[in-house]
Amino acid sequence: MEPDVIEAELVLPNYFSFKKIQSFEKYPKGQSSARRFKHLKQIIQAENFQNYPPDEPNYVNIESPPSMHPSKRICDITGYEAPYHDPRTKLRYANTGVFKVIRSLPNEYVQRYLALRNAAVVLR
Amino acid sequence: MPFVSRIQRQTDYGLFPSATPIVIDNGASYFRIGWAGENDPRVIFRNIVQRPRHKATGETVTVVGDHDPALLKYFDCTRSGPRSAFDSNVVYQFETMEYILDFGFDRLGANGPEIDHPVLITECVCNPVYSRSKMAELLFETYGVPSVAFGVDAAFSYKYNQQHGICAKDGLAMSSGFTTTHVIPFVDGEPIYKGSCRTNIGGYHVTDYFKQLLSLKYPHHMTRFTWEKIEDLKMEHCYIAPDYALEAQLFQKGSKEAEDKTRRWQLPWVPPVVEEGPSEEELARRAAIKERQGQRLREMAEAKRSSRINELENELRGLAFLLKQLEQVGQEDVPSFLAETGYASKQEIESAHAKATQSLRKAKGEPKAEQVESDEKIDPFADEKFSLLNVPDNMLSAEQLKEKRRLNFLKTTTEGRQRAKQKRMEEELERERKNREDEERRLANPVLYLEQLHIKYKELCEKVEQRKRLKTNGGNTNGNNLSGGVGRGERLNAAQRERMRLLTTAAFDRGKGEDTFGAKDEDWQLYKLMSKDNDDDDDEQDPEEAELTRISSRLQEIDPTFIPKAELGTSQQVVEVPKFRPLTKEDFQVILGVERFRCPEILFNPNLVGIDQAGMDEMAGVSIRRLSCDSKDVKDRLTQSILITGGSSLFPGISERLEARIRMIRPCGSPIRVVRASDPVLDAWHGASMYASALQFPSQTFTRMDYYEKGEDWLRRYQLMKL
Repeated sequence: MEPDVIEAELVLPNYFSFKKIQSFEKYPKGQSSARRFKHLKQIIQAENFQNYPPDEPNYVNIESPPSMHPSKRICDITGYEAPYHDPRTKLRYANTGVFKVIRSLPNEYVQRYLALRNAAVVLR
Repeated sequence: MPFVSRIQRQTDYGLFPSATPIVIDNGASYFRIGWAGENDPRVIFRNIVQRPRHKATGETVTVVGDHDPALLKYFDCTRSGPRSAFDSNVVYQFETMEYILDFGFDRLGANGPEIDHPVLITECVCNPVYSRSKMAELLFETYGVPSVAFGVDAAFSYKYNQQHGICAKDGLAMSSGFTTTHVIPFVDGEPIYKGSCRTNIGGYHVTDYFKQLLSLKYPHHMTRFTWEKIEDLKMEHCYIAPDYALEAQLFQKGSKEAEDKTRRWQLPWVPPVVEEGPSEEELARRAAIKERQGQRLREMAEAKRSSRINELENELRGLAFLLKQLEQVGQEDVPSFLAETGYASKQEIESAHAKATQSLRKAKGEPKAEQVESDEKIDPFADEKFSLLNVPDNMLSAEQLKEKRRLNFLKTTTEGRQRAKQKRMEEELERERKNREDEERRLANPVLYLEQLHIKYKELCEKVEQRKRLKTNGGNTNGNNLSGGVGRGERLNAAQRERMRLLTTAAFDRGKGEDTFGAKDEDWQLYKLMSKDNDDDDDEQDPEEAELTRISSRLQEIDPTFIPKAELGTSQQVVEVPKFRPLTKEDFQVILGVERFRCPEILFNPNLVGIDQAGMDEMAGVSIRRLSCDSKDVKDRLTQSILITGGSSLFPGISERLEARIRMIRPCGSPIRVVRASDPVLDAWHGASMYASALQFPSQTFTRMDYYEKGEDWLRRYQLMKL
């Protein structure tokens, strides 16, 4: 190791005195941790929240409902109020200048703008 | 305020008795650890882990928190991005969590055989029992902690502020964190989780939105928009507008206030060194050199030509002399005389003579007259030759018939050549005329002409692109297997259908021993037909491509701002940077105008990023509704003390906006008061520390024995009680 790296104590040491089981014993090399642990979706599924009384608050219960307010439509590119939308690219735009820019965008950028709004077409 | 990390190793671990709890605020953004009863956490660092490979030794090491990027150059960080133990606000990656706890305890100074202090650790609201149990297991098994308590960070923050009189016993806590935002009602000092509400929008989403917007707007500066830099920008420049629509209109009109509110970020930029145009004398000198060179070349060419002329003349004279001699010499001596000179007959000498005269004339520089002469020569030549044709067939002998056929052939070819030449001349004239018309049109109305030309260019471009795409789609990408495009139901054009037909018929197995392909030579012609180069598309495409190149060259001449579309797939930039004017300072400026208030707006309006949940203002209403208390004054008491805490509540303008919005949902005249926590970022830890230092804290913790005996169900219902 380079001296300044050791100096700054950048790297986590392998052995700690206060640990009863060290990391390298617990997690043998070669197994990816991603497979070992459940993601949130799986955790929630495994919990079976529907079995418990609905009165009690639990992780899924307290989620917010969809918004009741009328959704504000803003232009995807400039951020101004956008009453119009482009039927070909499905982007929202505020005026003709922005429209010209939208029509000249390559497809990659159009998809990225739509992805910002979670409206992109995802082929899975 | 930018990232603050305090990772100095503490030295007084041994001074604390083993009853002193360690307080950990385990947040998705930062990890804070310290001793109970103190004013501030001892160690703070970013809650991420990186596992790069050391370049020299090749071993994989773990780096916790964010570090000086200069030191990271010794490591290969390509395959190891920063990883967090959290998924939304729940811990799920316990290996990462272990590294973080290792680091935290280590920097706190832990050095005994195990961690001998009770630990109070924060978690999210209604943490799933799986996460809770795994965390408890980690603490008990690996670190040997005697007892553990879990608490909600927002509740701690509220309690702390309540102690300090900032908010009342009943109220709402709105905690806006890194990945989520919670609203929790408090009645009589206790959080009522039944009425709480969570939206999955937090500081992370705001920063991500900001980053994407800037990257899309300034694609050529994309490398500069790193996560850390954008967070800094967000913390420094973003604010929440009291009313989004009004603010957007301000900017749209381009008023002076909008101009004031726009911030410009100047990226480092070095002006290119401007070359001094060559001075006058320099130019004159260069011109003189060029001329001298030209002169020399011309002299050389001249000398060569004259020497060649001399040679030819000599030859001509020699031949003339020979001819004269031949005439003088008698008939009998001709063969012997000729044998000496090396020519076979008189005709040969004559033809050589004629050739030499021709070349001489050409060398002397009379090419046009020469060509005309030759043309003229051909015509009378042709006439006398073709005289044979006029004689009817039956009068000629067999030999003469052959001769006649040859002459026929010659005649048709010469006539064809003449016609071709005629057509070429006509085309030339036509083109000239068109060009002249074009020029006139251009001079008459330059702008319109330019636009028309642009439109034509675009159309042609599209057509050519489409053609090319069809070709590659219907054909395929690497020319090896033909069925690549067909299998997916692509429409084939006529040529491709023909090719398929040939292939299938050729491959058709007509039974054993019957394959006679290749016996005849004509069979191999099949491959020629199948060859992809024989596309008949080419003919249709070439004139269009030629037209395209012609138009693009015209455009380049006339229009200074025209950029030809070099190849398909070059991404056009939204902000055009023409390449032939020098890049100025302005090109390197990033303008933050609307983005300043557009990005934090998603806290109030998650629909802007496609998340279909209520925003912060609406959540307050939802929470009150969920409490299902009918008495009006309880609700009034709730809205009278609304506390906003959490890292993402630091945006200026958030209190005013919240107040205005909540007033809209409550009946007229109800009291509303919105206060910000004394230190939104650290208050959760302060509250937890205060709670842990209270005397009755040990009754709230649970030990390893409890955990094993009482089981999971008890753990699910475990909750910190009011002391």
